[in-house]
Amino acid sequence: MAEKIKILYLDDEMDNLTGFKATLRLDYQVLTAVNIPGAMEHLEKHPDIRVIFCDQRMPVKTGVEFFEGIRSTHPLPMRILITAYTDIEAVIDSINRGNIFRFVKKPWIEAELVSAIEEANKFYQANSMLAIKNEELQKAYSELDKFAYSVSHDIRGPLSGILGAINVAREMYDIAEMKEMLFLMEKSLKKLDTYILSMHDYYSLQRGELQICDIDFRKMADEFKDIYKVFSNTSNISFKVNINQREPFRSDTIPLKLILNNLLSNAFKYQSKNNDAKLVELNIDVHKGVATIIVSDTGIGILGNHLGEIFNLFYRASSQESGSGFGLYNVKSALLKLNGQIEVNSVLNKGTTFKVTVPTK
Amino acid sequence: MKDLSFIIIDDTELDHFIARKVITNANSDFHIESFLSAAQALEYITDDTNDQGIKIILIFLDIYMPLMNGFQFVEEFEKLDPKIREKYYIVALTSSVEASDINLIKSYKSFRARVTKPVTAEGLRTLLKKVGKEYNIEIGS
Repeated sequence: MAEKIKILYLDDEMDNLTGFKATLRLDYQVLTAVNIPGAMEHLEKHPDIRVIFCDQRMPVKTGVEFFEGIRSTHPLPMRILITAYTDIEAVIDSINRGNIFRFVKKPWIEAELVSAIEEANKFYQANSMLAIKNEELQKAYSELDKFAYSVSHDIRGPLSGILGAINVAREMYDIAEMKEMLFLMEKSLKKLDTYILSMHDYYSLQRGELQICDIDFRKMADEFKDIYKVFSNTSNISFKVNINQREPFRSDTIPLKLILNNLLSNAFKYQSKNNDAKLVELNIDVHKGVATIIVSDTGIGILGNHLGEIFNLFYRASSQESGSGFGLYNVKSALLKLNGQIEVNSVLNKGTTFKVTVPTK
Repeated sequence: MKDLSFIIIDDTELDHFIARKVITNANSDFHIESFLSAAQALEYITDDTNDQGIKIILIFLDIYMPLMNGFQFVEEFEKLDPKIREKYYIVALTSSVEASDINLIKSYKSFRARVTKPVTAEGLRTLLKKVGKEYNIEIGS
C-alpha cells in the first residue's frame, strides 16, 4: 500500500480520541487534537490531511463553527461531523454553513468510519485531480492568449512588410535599390519561416511520447559541424567541438537535437560584430549516466535582469531582429521531457554559457 | 525642409526601407533618422545637441519591438522635459489588428496619430495634411 491517508480528529474528550486512534491507526495515519488550536497546528504542519472528523459538541466552538472557519483557509480536506444528537437544526446548519461531507453518529461503528473515510478519500482525489487539470487548463489558456497576440504580430509583421515592399516597388526604377529591397524582403520571409518552424517544434514537444534509442554524441556533433560550417566560414566564427563519451547513453534524438540546435544557433547568431576572435564552443561529456552539454560563445551576452526571463515564451532579450521568442522556451520544454536541467551564465559584451545536464534513460 | 523631419523607430529593416521610401517619394528633401531600437532613439532625442531647429519632428514608432516596445518608449518620453516633448509628434505604427493594442494606443495622449503598416503614400499624405493644419506649415509634395 502507498503512504497511509492522513486523517485528523478533533474532540474535546480525550477518551474518544484514544479510542478512535486505536481503531484506525493500522490503516491510516491518525492525528488527534483536543482543542481547536491543536487542530490548526496539525493542519498547518500537514497540508496533505485528507479527512477531518470533528465532534459537534465542544466548549468554545461547535463542530459546525470550526468547519465553517476552516472552509476558506483549508478547502481541500473532506469534513465529517460526529454527533450524538439527531438534532435536525444542527444537521441543516452544518450542511449550509460547514459544507459537511458526511455525518457519523456517536458512538461510532468501525465499519461506518472506514466507509466514510474511503468515500471521502475518493472525493478528495477527484477534487485534487480537478484542481490539477484546472491549473493545466489555465496555463494552456494563457499560452493560447500569448499565441494569438504573437501570431497577429510575428506573422502579420513580415507579411505587411512584404506587401509594403510590393507597393513601393511599383514606383521604383533603380535596379540596385530594387536588389537591396529584395534582400530585405528575403530576410523578412526567412524570419517568418523560422517562426513557423519553431511553432511546429513547440507543438511537437507538447505532444508525443519519447522515442528512446542509443545516442552517439560524436555523430550528432558531426552533423552540427556540417550544418554550421557555412555559417562559421562566412561570419568568421571559429567552432570548437569537444566530445567525451566512453559509455552508452540513451535518450530521444529529436528533443536532444532541438536543444543543441537552439543553443548553437543562438551562440552563432548573437555574436558582437566588432569582435575579431569570435568563438563558439560545444563540449559534451558523458559520465556515470549523465550527459553534460556546454555551449559557450563570445557574443553580446545577456543583461542580468533579462536572464530570468529568457526561457519565457515569446520573450526576446535582444533587438536583433532574427529572434522569434520560441527558441529557449522550446529548449526548456525539451529538457522537461528528458528530465534535464539548464543553467545560464552571461556577461554583457563578453559572452554566454549554457550548461545542460541530461540523465540517460 | 526646415519645418518638418522624421524619426523612424522599428526593429525590422524592411519596414525602415519602406517608410523611408514612401517619405522620400513624397518629398526628397525630408530628413530622416532611423533607429532599430527604441532605447537608442530615446537617447538621441534626449540629447539636445541633436536639435537642428526643426519645427516639428514626426516619430514613426513601431509598437511591437523586443526589449523596449512602443508603449514603454512613450512612457519614457512622457517623463521628458516639455520643451523636448513639444518638438515631437508621435505616430504609432502597427501591423496588428488587436483591439487591445489599439485601445491602449488611444489611452496615451502622446500618441497623436496611428498608421497601419505598411506605410503607404496615401496614408502619409493624410497624415501630413493633418500635421500641416495643426502646425500651420506648408508641406509641398
